[in-house]
Amino acid sequence: MKKLSLAVVGVLIVLTAAACGGYEPAEDEVVIGSVHPLTGALAGQGEMMHEGAQLAVDDLNEAGGIESLGGDSLVLRAGDSKGTADAGQIEAQRLVSEGAVALIGTYQSDVTANVSAVAERNRVPLVIDVAVDDVILEQGYEHTFRIQPNASSMGRDGAIALAELSKANGKPVRTVSYLHIEGAFGQSVHDAFEKEAADQGIDVVSEVTYPATNFTDATTQVREALAADPDVVVVTGYYPDSLLIAQAVRSLGGDVDALYGIANGGFDDSAFPADSGPAGADVLSANYHYAATDERAQDIRARFEQKYGRTMETSAMLAYQAVVVIAQGLEESGSKDPEELRDAIADLEIDDPLLEFGGPIAFDEAGENENASVTVMQIRDGKVEQVFPDEFKTADIVYPAGRAAGAKE
Amino acid sequence: MTDPTSTATAPAPEAPPDRGTQRRTSEVAVPLGVMAAVVVALVLVYAVGQRATDLVTQSIVTGLLLGGVYALVSVGLTLIFGVLGIVNFAQGAMLTMAMFLVYEMTTSGGLPVYVATLLAVPIMFLFGVVVQAALLNKLTLAGSHEGPLLVTLGLSLLIINVLLMIFGGRPLRVPGSVDGSVEVFGAVASYERLIAFGGALLVAVALLLLLRRTSFGMSIRAVSANAEGASLVGVDVRRIYALTFGIGAACVAVAGGLMAPFLSLTPTVGEQFTILAFVIVVLGGLGSVTGALLGGLVIGLVQTVGALYFPGTGSLILVFAVFVLVLFFRPQGILGAPQ
Repeated sequence: MKKLSLAVVGVLIVLTAAACGGYEPAEDEVVIGSVHPLTGALAGQGEMMHEGAQLAVDDLNEAGGIESLGGDSLVLRAGDSKGTADAGQIEAQRLVSEGAVALIGTYQSDVTANVSAVAERNRVPLVIDVAVDDVILEQGYEHTFRIQPNASSMGRDGAIALAELSKANGKPVRTVSYLHIEGAFGQSVHDAFEKEAADQGIDVVSEVTYPATNFTDATTQVREALAADPDVVVVTGYYPDSLLIAQAVRSLGGDVDALYGIANGGFDDSAFPADSGPAGADVLSANYHYAATDERAQDIRARFEQKYGRTMETSAMLAYQAVVVIAQGLEESGSKDPEELRDAIADLEIDDPLLEFGGPIAFDEAGENENASVTVMQIRDGKVEQVFPDEFKTADIVYPAGRAAGAKE
Repeated sequence: MTDPTSTATAPAPEAPPDRGTQRRTSEVAVPLGVMAAVVVALVLVYAVGQRATDLVTQSIVTGLLLGGVYALVSVGLTLIFGVLGIVNFAQGAMLTMAMFLVYEMTTSGGLPVYVATLLAVPIMFLFGVVVQAALLNKLTLAGSHEGPLLVTLGLSLLIINVLLMIFGGRPLRVPGSVDGSVEVFGAVASYERLIAFGGALLVAVALLLLLRRTSFGMSIRAVSANAEGASLVGVDVRRIYALTFGIGAACVAVAGGLMAPFLSLTPTVGEQFTILAFVIVVLGGLGSVTGALLGGLVIGLVQTVGALYFPGTGSLILVFAVFVLVLFFRPQGILGAPQ
């Protein structure tokens, strides 16, 4: 018993020492705090995004640091949200108290909501790399900015793109079944889609939701969606569930014009084509996407892969972009004061986004990127290609799916 | 702690005969009653459920197959929980570990997934034996309940984070096994899931035979019924504990190998099964292999057929509602011996 208590005391001392070993930024350093899920179920995503941000910091420092601050270098400090809102909030607060002048994060909407509250309270800017929920920026916060499109604009743009591309290919969509994950993410994208779809003459004939946990077989849900005999099945969800759905559509022999993801975390992931095999062929996905047509983005992706040994997904590119936004803000403001940085970011206009957006990155009153838009991707020959709109095209679209030369019919 | 195979329990010699028969009747009556209730519920769904027939059939087939998967995970847990009395929070993590073992053998070793599964079984068995012998035996023998619980919780964190360190958190996929599906009464069932279902039945039968027909099985049952008594008649309780945990881990290896082909592998993929496995084990009766099988199928059916009416998390709420009802009316579980 004595041994045990000694051990406990020892552990406590080590933990306290570690916690007190706070960070003190040097004179010529500017600290950016990066809050992502580095452990837990989303660790793979979080780690990759943190690496994306780190690559941006390294690139900027190599190019001479922040010029207007006399070449001060950027330092990226990691906070682990563990995938939970509480932990994310605590980590954000810690990073700010340890001298971070800006935050980026966090991949999850609920975590981001809490982190944005911390940012607001401490008057430190937060640049959201990935988090889709509209609500985050509906609080009237002045210190939070979002680069990617929000849920409702993705649902809306997804509907418009679907209507346009199906019309352009001579088979306009009339009916869709919508499968989505339960919760704010899936619901808000669906609602925005349904609203816009009505104006586009598309009818959502069936809405099927599935749980975010304990979802290991999609057959019943997909069958339910297919029962309404839709032209297209639309899916909003994450990677594992989207994979299950694509496989179920194939095994049920679903005869639809397309399987179409909106804000889908699986369909345009570079691992998806290999994982899904024939089930993934010709799957469409309307989502924000790294600028595949841009040489800079290609170069960054190549170097990322070389450095970290894995493919750089769009989420990591958004983390990279978030650091660039903050660095530009620092250049403009020429100050390490978070308030001045915030004002500079609010006035920024970044003409060469690393994402496939319809215009420069510029934030509106609420902090949303005015020109954030979705691109439609399609899995062609085992690769994710951009197919719509035409200006961002890297391959020709096949619509209806599976009707490529030599395929069925 | 109850008997590992309550159905196998011959009436204790000292028990009055009337109690024995009574117990026997309930042993058959309750599971039959449960099955009858399930069948009646399904017939009702068909008759007055206002859902398309083929959709209901699909959900039943999917539910049974899913139940098979649940049963696979639960049979190992029911042994560990029933015999050792250990609330093994590492069950899900061990499942994940087995999946990654199979993943590694199929991708790096180039083995077919089901061969890799066979190889994973002895590895996980050894792992289980070592865990019990090195980490848990002392606490279990001292009669501590929270000690082993905390150790297994720690073990699960350890396994998850080591896997995270080695493989990263991006979803991985075990390369193709048996692609394709078959039609059952108009419902679609993939071969991979059918194989997993068959595996669950095989494992359950093998375990039952082991427990009932071998002297080793008898030792396990003896230790489960009364560890002190067993040690007095010469059973090496430590050894039985270690081997039982090993068998529990080996079951998980089979489960992991059979499930790997249709799941995306992340270090936390097994966690979602832990809670449901506990529900199934308690539902089926602590330590009852048949109970775990039956419980798994019931929960699988409730979840998928229930999802037709309560989509999303609603189906899980339904699962827990059934669980609470069973606890209320039959606290020892479907096949559990009366306390």
